[in-house]
Amino acid sequence: MAEWNAYYQNEDEDEEQEEGEQSGGDYKVTGRDSLVFLVDASKEMFIKGEDGEPSNFDMTMQVVRSVYTSKIISSHRDLVALVFYGTEQSKNPRNSFKYVYVYHDLDEPGAKRVQEVDALRGEKGARLAAETMGSGETSLGDALWCCANLYSDIKLRLSHKRLMIFTCRDEPHRGDSAKDRQARTKASDLKETGVIIDLMHLMKPGGFDVAPFFRDIVSQPEDESELGLHLEPCDKLEDLQKRVRAKEQKKRAMARLNLCLGEGINVAVGIYATAVTARKPAAIRLYRETNEPVRSKTRTFHMQTGSLLLPSEIKKAQTYGKKQIVMERDEVDSIKKFQDPGLYLIGFKPMEKLKTHHHIRPAVFLYPEEGEVKGSACLFSALLMKCSERNVFALCRCVSRRNYPPRFVALVPQREEVDEGKVQFTPPGFNVIYLPYADDLRTLDPPQCPSASQIQVDKMKEIVSKLRFKYRSEAFENPVIQQHYRNLEALALDMMAPEDTEDLIMPKVDQINHRLGPLAEEFKDLVYPAGYNPESKSVAKRKTAIVGGVAEKKPKAEVPEDELRAHVQNGTLGKLTVPVLKEACKQFGVRTTGTKKQELIDALTTRLTDTV
Amino acid sequence: MAGTKSALVLCMDVGFSMSNSAPGEEPPFELAKKVIQKFVQRQVFAENKDELALVLFGTDSTKNPLDRDGQYQNITVHRHLMIPDFELLEEIENQVHPESQQADWMDALVVCMDLLQTETKGKKFDRLNVALLTDLSTQANQDHLDVIIENLKQAGITLQFFLPFPAEDDEEGGGDSDRRGPGHPGTGKGLSREQKESLDLVKHVMLSLDEEDGLDQVYTFRDAIEQLCMFKRIERRPMAWPCQLTIGSCLSIRIVGYKAVTEERLKKMWVTVDAQSNQKEDVKRETVYCLDDDNETEVKKDDTIQGFRYGSDIVPFSKVDQDQMKYKHDGKCFAVLGFTKQNLVRRHQFMGSQVVKMFAPKDDEHAGVALSALIRALDELQMVAIVRYAYDRRSNPQVGAAFPCVKQDYECLMYVQLPFMEDLRQFTFPSLENNKKLSPSDTQLSAVDSLIDSMMLVQKDDDDADQKDIFKVHHIPNPAFQRHFQCLHHRAVNPGTPLPPMEPWLKAALERPDVISERCQAPLEEIKRKFPLIEVEKKKKLKTSAQIFGKDAEEPDAKKAKGDEEEDYNLADIAEGSVTSVGSVDPARDFRTLIKLKSLPFGEVCQQLTHRIEQLLSNKNTHYYMKSITCIQAFREQSVKLGNADLYNSYLQSLKRSIPNRRLEVFWDLLVQDAITLISKDEVEGSTVSKNEANQFLVVEEKKEEAAVPSAEDTGDVDDLLDMM
Repeated sequence: MAEWNAYYQNEDEDEEQEEGEQSGGDYKVTGRDSLVFLVDASKEMFIKGEDGEPSNFDMTMQVVRSVYTSKIISSHRDLVALVFYGTEQSKNPRNSFKYVYVYHDLDEPGAKRVQEVDALRGEKGARLAAETMGSGETSLGDALWCCANLYSDIKLRLSHKRLMIFTCRDEPHRGDSAKDRQARTKASDLKETGVIIDLMHLMKPGGFDVAPFFRDIVSQPEDESELGLHLEPCDKLEDLQKRVRAKEQKKRAMARLNLCLGEGINVAVGIYATAVTARKPAAIRLYRETNEPVRSKTRTFHMQTGSLLLPSEIKKAQTYGKKQIVMERDEVDSIKKFQDPGLYLIGFKPMEKLKTHHHIRPAVFLYPEEGEVKGSACLFSALLMKCSERNVFALCRCVSRRNYPPRFVALVPQREEVDEGKVQFTPPGFNVIYLPYADDLRTLDPPQCPSASQIQVDKMKEIVSKLRFKYRSEAFENPVIQQHYRNLEALALDMMAPEDTEDLIMPKVDQINHRLGPLAEEFKDLVYPAGYNPESKSVAKRKTAIVGGVAEKKPKAEVPEDELRAHVQNGTLGKLTVPVLKEACKQFGVRTTGTKKQELIDALTTRLTDTV
Repeated sequence: MAGTKSALVLCMDVGFSMSNSAPGEEPPFELAKKVIQKFVQRQVFAENKDELALVLFGTDSTKNPLDRDGQYQNITVHRHLMIPDFELLEEIENQVHPESQQADWMDALVVCMDLLQTETKGKKFDRLNVALLTDLSTQANQDHLDVIIENLKQAGITLQFFLPFPAEDDEEGGGDSDRRGPGHPGTGKGLSREQKESLDLVKHVMLSLDEEDGLDQVYTFRDAIEQLCMFKRIERRPMAWPCQLTIGSCLSIRIVGYKAVTEERLKKMWVTVDAQSNQKEDVKRETVYCLDDDNETEVKKDDTIQGFRYGSDIVPFSKVDQDQMKYKHDGKCFAVLGFTKQNLVRRHQFMGSQVVKMFAPKDDEHAGVALSALIRALDELQMVAIVRYAYDRRSNPQVGAAFPCVKQDYECLMYVQLPFMEDLRQFTFPSLENNKKLSPSDTQLSAVDSLIDSMMLVQKDDDDADQKDIFKVHHIPNPAFQRHFQCLHHRAVNPGTPLPPMEPWLKAALERPDVISERCQAPLEEIKRKFPLIEVEKKKKLKTSAQIFGKDAEEPDAKKAKGDEEEDYNLADIAEGSVTSVGSVDPARDFRTLIKLKSLPFGEVCQQLTHRIEQLLSNKNTHYYMKSITCIQAFREQSVKLGNADLYNSYLQSLKRSIPNRRLEVFWDLLVQDAITLISKDEVEGSTVSKNEANQFLVVEEKKEEAAVPSAEDTGDVDDLLDMM
């Protein structure tokens, strides 16, 4: 039966998804991602900043928490661990390491863990940390060794292994060269097993010097230019969060394609989704008795014979002009096929030819794959530089997957940008903008309206300037998703009520009103005649609608039992209307599968004659 | 425009002159028929509410409501006004032939007008149209010309003429052939006197209906066929979304939104039907739920509840609770959160799948002025409004940007969704420019420069400042739909034949324009020289079984065997990569394929196979025994090929040991008959079994069997088997 399942699984979605829904398929790669937070718990970490700024430890815990919750939302199958070093107490699997405290071993983060990290935050957290772990001697070598054991204890296949060290001490062993050497050996052991070690160094008085010790501990950057080590230490939560976030997600190409400039000139590129609409996850069905998840199986069978249908016993059909047109399944696929997957260069256009409103789906990102075709990065880089310099985009025909019809895309050059801390905030590459076909543009009939006068426009300009702000794309959380997870969190942790979510996309009406002051009235005086109320019409309409709606529903259709029984006996149930019958069914607790009148009557009749 | 409904009469001349043509040219009749066919096809697939009628004139018989006293002769109303279907297409294909009479096209026009007037009564049509296809070779009766024109005007009927020759390129006029292009049939031949007179009449009629552009509605057959080869683009009625744009609680402006750009989908889905009956009712799909245990115990849907994952926890969360606790909001909304610089809203961060244009309501000019003030203010300041947008109470609210759009003839706001924090994935990529190994040299850069020069799709005309875009994507119809309809149409009209190749025009529309292809030849060659591109040999991700077992993969024998094997299997199957594990349908084949693919280690594939064999053997049935034997044969054959005997030998030995306990004597007997024994040293070097031992392995058993099992039973089984095969 297993094969049947596999075979039919996607059949239905085929049409639904058609194309476009290519994102989110990252997890096809086998194996899990894993991330270990290795946090310094020495006394230095707990020193609070001036002006009551949070301690490095506090900051780190906030970041760890936000990674936990974001993993729960976006990639719950990733494994995360939290380990402290430089502690007084020790707690690790075989208790073979001193001064290493495994707070969380490698596992999927859950509600309980979030709570436990929460407990370590703030003033109270520092106290709790002091009580449970304390600060003691430091042996980074042991800590790394312990982490290596965490990795090796995992029975699952890990695809990406990362370890982040949070510390504000650049000489953890205070010049004990034996310990330094041990740490280096352990670090290189870890790196050999594919673990990438990052340093999240935090501010300390006198500055953090990476060179003497940590340079040999952390992994070499992917290429010589990656600026990993020249970074300034973090002193702000926001910075740290950004840095961790940039490393925490493993980037995976959605597809690897060739960008073909012409006969025999193929540049290998990877396509990455940099923005994917996060949705509430689908519900899982659980067995009522045990709360264990159930699997669903979908089968296709013949109505008459009841036998399962083989793929060859199925065809596909559409009806047009009263005629059913039938095709084989593979014909349906072959219709969609135009070319093999790839990007094919058509030409170049100046940037102003890319219209703002030509938008049909979120863009994706293109970066060369030197590992597939050597020389790709060089040609790609040359194209990128020249397109950007000349302010043009490349127009390409794009077939993103097998049996996908072609789409045209604009490859818009994007140069690399780094912030003051030399952290990259815009990666170099092409943004791929999908362009609409003629079918995708709708013909509208714009109303003829008078334009505003310059005085009116100027008044509005005043309003606009009063409400200026600096837009940042990461500033808005999705209230629907946040609420959903708060609810789950509350249920999972048996909390009385879910934590409040702030709806960040709600206009701050009071503030806006306050800022505008008299401007709103002045503008209205300029554009609206006296007595004009923009809200009047639709509000009035809605009110009547509500009143009407309630009024219609109110008279509940109920018939006394005697009367019903009389109807049953006389066989005159048919005289009653469907709503009345439905109500009667409810009244007697009769379950009906159908809604047809006859079905209702039959159900009621059986029930009432039984009980007579 | 979408959403409107029109009534159209196709009025085609089938008279004898339509069959005349110069040698080597298609007769006008055939061309006209093609025009009609293409047109009706488009209508059928567009599935709008437009209705069509077909009137033929020049027919041998007469069939029309005006047929009285010898008037309106040889005119046939072939089909009355109705929504076109495939029946009509088949009728056109099979029943419309050239006939031998001639009829007055003016009379035919009157019949069409009459038909439109009587048959649209009580129905609402936005457009009434008559399309006349004729070669104009009959003398037209001009007596009632003024009355006819007046009637056309009054009824609001528009006219279109389709002729074998261009209207403006007659012999007197001349000169204009440049625009129309040469090669139109009929132009060289010269028109008859009747045709000239009729053409003047056509012009007169058309110009009196529309003084300026009347002649634009006169087409040649060829132009029409060219234009009609494209299937209609998908049109949808724009849905108005009335709302108020609010800035704080004191300022609101009434607006109406329309979806302006969105990825259109085909309106119809494929329906699954039974291959024999072609009935969808015969196919039923059913979803069942089962526990994740060994027996896959089924549970009823009613016995399941809903839950969600919270990291590692699964939280039961009923629908009712979910609805009660979920995020709720006030419904429809277009509220300004603030204003920001346009350049802070990056193009590549646009989310969602649509652009909504916001206008003022049609009847509210105050709203129009207020909105215009906002649009212009934003436009002049180069800013956008960041808004909260909610379509209605049930849908999730979004954050988005409203861009100002000031056009010649209208102004509007364009709304695009922007990302939430949860949607973003901050990836960092290694720098390209700061990497010395990768950075291109100056000569390389200049090669790219000249490539861009040669491939600019937007060209400045020399004489005027206008730019000409020679590749407008938004003018190309979606090729997927075009191909889809082409294939559907082909299958409907020519059932039982394979699908046609892609239409040449469609193929061409997706290619680089010829001018560009020519111009970029040399720069591309230069690129090829300057940028060496070397495809990297893929390292095999998994070691081959031979490597794992350290056996003689290099030996010529093994290679030869590989080569032979190639032909035995359906290469397509392998290329599809559809086999990922040893299935139960044809385990032996799956096993061979997997070994060939080397996607899994040999040991694992063997394990999967033996698992299947054990499953098969648990059914005590000769059919399953037979299948098991083919599996074991495959196992043996592949083991020998790969020079690894251990797994196979140990399995067979353990199988033998388990025979008495499992009462599989009958099966063992079959194995013996087929002489499937251990792999000996002679076959595979690494084997620990000698040839003698291998033979003995079965021989001993044979004796035993002879004693234990009556031979009669044996033969019986074999007979059964033969029957089955």
